[in-house]
Amino acid sequence: MAQRLSIPLRILDIDRRTQVKAADRIVRQHGDWSPDYLIPQVFLEWSDGRTEHILTGFSERVPRTAQAWQDLFASDWFRAIPKGALR
Amino acid sequence: MTTARPLPRVLRTALAAPGATCYRHCDRPIQVRRVPSRLPGIWQVRACPSGVVSVTSYTEWTRRDPTASVQRMLRTWSSPASLVRRWDLRLATRRGPELGHAAERFLTKHRARGGLRVVYWRVYPFEARDGTERRLFVCLRRTHRSAVFFTASPTAKTWGCPTCRRRAAPARKSTR
Repeated sequence: MAQRLSIPLRILDIDRRTQVKAADRIVRQHGDWSPDYLIPQVFLEWSDGRTEHILTGFSERVPRTAQAWQDLFASDWFRAIPKGALR
Repeated sequence: MTTARPLPRVLRTALAAPGATCYRHCDRPIQVRRVPSRLPGIWQVRACPSGVVSVTSYTEWTRRDPTASVQRMLRTWSSPASLVRRWDLRLATRRGPELGHAAERFLTKHRARGGLRVVYWRVYPFEARDGTERRLFVCLRRTHRSAVFFTASPTAKTWGCPTCRRRAAPARKSTR
């Protein structure tokens, strides 16, 4: 997704102590927060400073999350993202 | 205050996730069963034919977080009620673009009404005090007023549903 949008990618691994606090903060403020929240959760940071939650993994089964990624890339919303609107 | 709306077929179809098998138990196909309740959303229990639960989900088309209502309802269905821990309930928002074109366009058209909220209840296998493995089971017999969730050993020879046991006990008494 980052490649397609030509934006930097930041991955926060909740199994790494140095990264989990930042992940918790973003999910609590912008995402689907639960004490043992679902992963992955995907966010976009816009050039106007907004952070937008765009995807939470499906708990049913892993291939369903893969399908969600494909649907996201094919979506009207994704194709309408203007160049330069993200940082 | 926000109100929930019935889930149209286009959204129900978009949320479907068929094809799973029972993980680390019997490898048989997971069956998806709907469970009625007084809540406005849709309950789905994903379990193998033996009743071992993979995940239970509640989906509502709403802006609110339905987790508290889901926890209360699951507690009335579970034996013991303490089986339902907040830790095991996980929220997911579905906005449309990740659900395919039909659902995306439908939700865009009704944007003012918000997205879909899904609360998942997943209880991972755990070790009981006696050292045996326990898993979450569901009994969906029509004679019960609702679904009954309970834990049992996956290798148990007897069906461990506490509601079935309670119903069977008076019947045995009356035959004496």
